[in-house]
Amino acid sequence: MNERFFRQGLLAVALAALLSVAAGSGYAGNLVIWIAIAAVLASTLRFVLLIGELNFAVAAFFGLGAYASGAATTLWQLPFGLSILTSGVVALLASAAFGYVTLRVKGPYFLLIGFAFTEALRILYTRSEWLGGNSGMVGIFPPAVLGDYFPTFVVAVAGALILLLARIEHSHLGRVFVAIRDNDSVVRSVGIPVHAMKVLCFCIASLVAGVAGALQAFSNNVISPLDFSFMLSTFALAYLKVGGERHALGPVVGAVLLVLLASVAQRFGGSEQIFYGAAIVFGVLFMPDGLTGWLARRRTARAKTALPSPAGEMQ
Amino acid sequence: MQTLLQLFFTALQIGAVYILFALGLTLIFGVLRIVNFAHGQFFTLSALIVSVAVPWFANGGSPVWLAYTLACLCGVIVTSALGALVYEVGFKRVERDMTGSFILSAGFVLMIEGVFTKLFGGIVRPVPPLVDGNIDVFGISVAAQRLVLCGVAAALTLLLTLALGGTRFGKALRAVSIDHQAAMLQGISYRRIGFGGFVAATAIGAVAGALIAPVAAVSPTLGDAYLVKGFIAVVIGGMGSVPGAILGGLFIAFVESFVGFYFDPSVASLAIFVLVMAVLLVRPKGLLGHE
Repeated sequence: MNERFFRQGLLAVALAALLSVAAGSGYAGNLVIWIAIAAVLASTLRFVLLIGELNFAVAAFFGLGAYASGAATTLWQLPFGLSILTSGVVALLASAAFGYVTLRVKGPYFLLIGFAFTEALRILYTRSEWLGGNSGMVGIFPPAVLGDYFPTFVVAVAGALILLLARIEHSHLGRVFVAIRDNDSVVRSVGIPVHAMKVLCFCIASLVAGVAGALQAFSNNVISPLDFSFMLSTFALAYLKVGGERHALGPVVGAVLLVLLASVAQRFGGSEQIFYGAAIVFGVLFMPDGLTGWLARRRTARAKTALPSPAGEMQ
Repeated sequence: MQTLLQLFFTALQIGAVYILFALGLTLIFGVLRIVNFAHGQFFTLSALIVSVAVPWFANGGSPVWLAYTLACLCGVIVTSALGALVYEVGFKRVERDMTGSFILSAGFVLMIEGVFTKLFGGIVRPVPPLVDGNIDVFGISVAAQRLVLCGVAAALTLLLTLALGGTRFGKALRAVSIDHQAAMLQGISYRRIGFGGFVAATAIGAVAGALIAPVAAVSPTLGDAYLVKGFIAVVIGGMGSVPGAILGGLFIAFVESFVGFYFDPSVASLAIFVLVMAVLLVRPKGLLGHE
């Protein structure tokens, strides 16, 4: 089942990348890019949820990645690939330090300290003149070679990242993470260093979020401190909650659905904020397991009702 | 000495509002185990209503103090009603589910803030001053309005602390926040206390919002900045602890006014963050928190 899942996953990513070629680089292309980035962000949120923590600092590491790429490209003139790598490494190092200190606390404390960290980083950006201060950085362009195929590139990278997270989740390491969520004392009792494992999980998710931030910087060309407020974490939460957190596909489904619906709502003059808020409230109250959870339950319900009927035909 | 005293007063003024804000947060967390991000929106709503109602009442011919009292009453009543509605429709269904209720509150933040922006517009609304002029206290000049606000906030905080310790409702709230099952075994109705606690906390937030309206730039996003600081105050003091919220609120206010004066306001924000990390390293449950 595992093998099949990844073969199908790879196929789906390839298909999505091919489809995104049709979107071109206009408005549709930007929409495709944002869907891909949103799916990655929501997936990292889900990944940290494996150890049972809600990572509200996701916007902070996304922002760190974006700023690292911005600095690498415009200040140090590093090549494109190296810039994206820098983003990942910066997010990884920062999250290792942040996670080492904060993962000692759990639940609401961890959540709130992530929230505070996001806002503290934003203040730091506005204070840093070399990072453009309040107005941010401009001129972060992807290489000309990619041209109109930049959305395709983003979709391919995003798909690979999501598959990577799913791969880790299904590995031995992923089982350790889930075991920590279920009962960390048991995990500690068999000699697994719980704290180190939690930090590792957090670092992997933040690395991915950092790379997503780099993609965002290159696609937007402009970044400013305002782009990385805690609202971004809330949006990621909306994608995850509407899609469902039980299945690895949940964040992707949520991102595709909400981004498309929000763009339609905006065309009719609605507010993006109200729309996302309503989606979260509706999701929590009426679909606690999200769309994927709802579909899975319907499928098992149908399988149950379908079972007796072949027996009936036999008679 | 002059400057020190002046800074001390500023700290007390902003501290009073932080304390009121943090008290609401810590009550809701203690009683219902909800990390309520929408608290900032209740705070904002009350401030917005005051900013609209004061000029309206004043134009109607009532004196300034009456206009203020009426506007504050309107703000607190409307906000409490919204709080009751949000609890009945939403939070009641996810009580004691930390993650679920937090996500729900984040949804309410987006929704309510979006509605505010549509209704009131993104512009900043100035509120006319409550009392004009300055008063000399210990040889330093303090804006009379700030002194009044500070006094009201301090009196309210004192009253609340006494009410939590002395009244039947206050005792029931504290019992539920320490151990809700044991409290239920004693015959305390969790449902009633939960509802009462949520509305009371919302009303406290609304009072804080109404108090800050004359001295702040009132806009639909006013509550966001207070939300960060209010939660940091609660985390420092220990979540669910009332004395902790008071201590945390004062702590943040003092760091903000002293570091903000000697260095820079944004350095103060960063310093607060670093200090929280330090506190959590030493005492993971906050200064006055317990398991």
